[in-house]
Amino acid sequence: MERMLRWVICIGFSMLLSSCASGMKFTQANPSLAPLNPELGRIFFYRPSMAGAAIRPDVMLNGEKVGDAISHGFFYVDRPAGNYEVITSTEVSRKVSFVLENGQTRFIRFKISLGFFAGHVYGELVDQSVGLEEIQECKYTGGSNQSSK
Amino acid sequence: MGRIFVLLILVVLTTSGCPFNLADVRFLPTEMHASAKSERTFTLTKDVEISQLPCGYSRTLRNGTSWDLVGELPKGAIYRSKDQSLTLECSNVYEAYIVVAEDSLVGFYLPVEKGFVPVSDPIRLPVIKIR
Repeated sequence: MERMLRWVICIGFSMLLSSCASGMKFTQANPSLAPLNPELGRIFFYRPSMAGAAIRPDVMLNGEKVGDAISHGFFYVDRPAGNYEVITSTEVSRKVSFVLENGQTRFIRFKISLGFFAGHVYGELVDQSVGLEEIQECKYTGGSNQSSK
Repeated sequence: MGRIFVLLILVVLTTSGCPFNLADVRFLPTEMHASAKSERTFTLTKDVEISQLPCGYSRTLRNGTSWDLVGELPKGAIYRSKDQSLTLECSNVYEAYIVVAEDSLVGFYLPVEKGFVPVSDPIRLPVIKIR
């Protein structure tokens, strides 16, 4: 019984570790905060907490998958000015909506709240000063379509 | 043990078909229009706590933040700050601008949803007008 418990703990621990981001740290990657193209804005997505690490939903930006909400991970995309909606879905879909302007940088932080069977991962719009402080230890997970359009 | 397992399976099967009751911010659809006001920017001289928000959330408009006029509604003028990201939230999160009439906060404008969310009691804003 004790041996089985050890196995369960080992498997659980390795699942937890494999659920976390493994790329280059934000401080090492040191990405530019502003988009290189002044006709675009930049959106950083990050998830600073380990809570619910096994749950890593798709991140949909105006209906297009741009990355995954991975614990201790970050990625960014450049987009033209306009209205944007970020949706993450587990057992329910949660949305954050915001306006992006040319040359502007916005930070979306992912958190997790309790759900019935699975936690709900949801995005929050945070100030740049807060986002910059919290993203430092996150690792790059490579969002898709980084600078499309 | 077997009975508990069967019961658990039944609970899963019956509840998995039920949608979660998500709460949402209620707003009045409205479009902002250009403003003819001459005072276009103000700065807050104190923190302003706002507790009467949907779903029991609260927000603080921070001391020292500047707010720029971006448009107007019949209820008041719409201001946005580049110093502070402001949102309203229930199950979903919405970026919000403030709506001000006679130096009091009367509600919020949701720029993506194009909606107005009134506050039940206007909140006096401690401001310095820049121009």
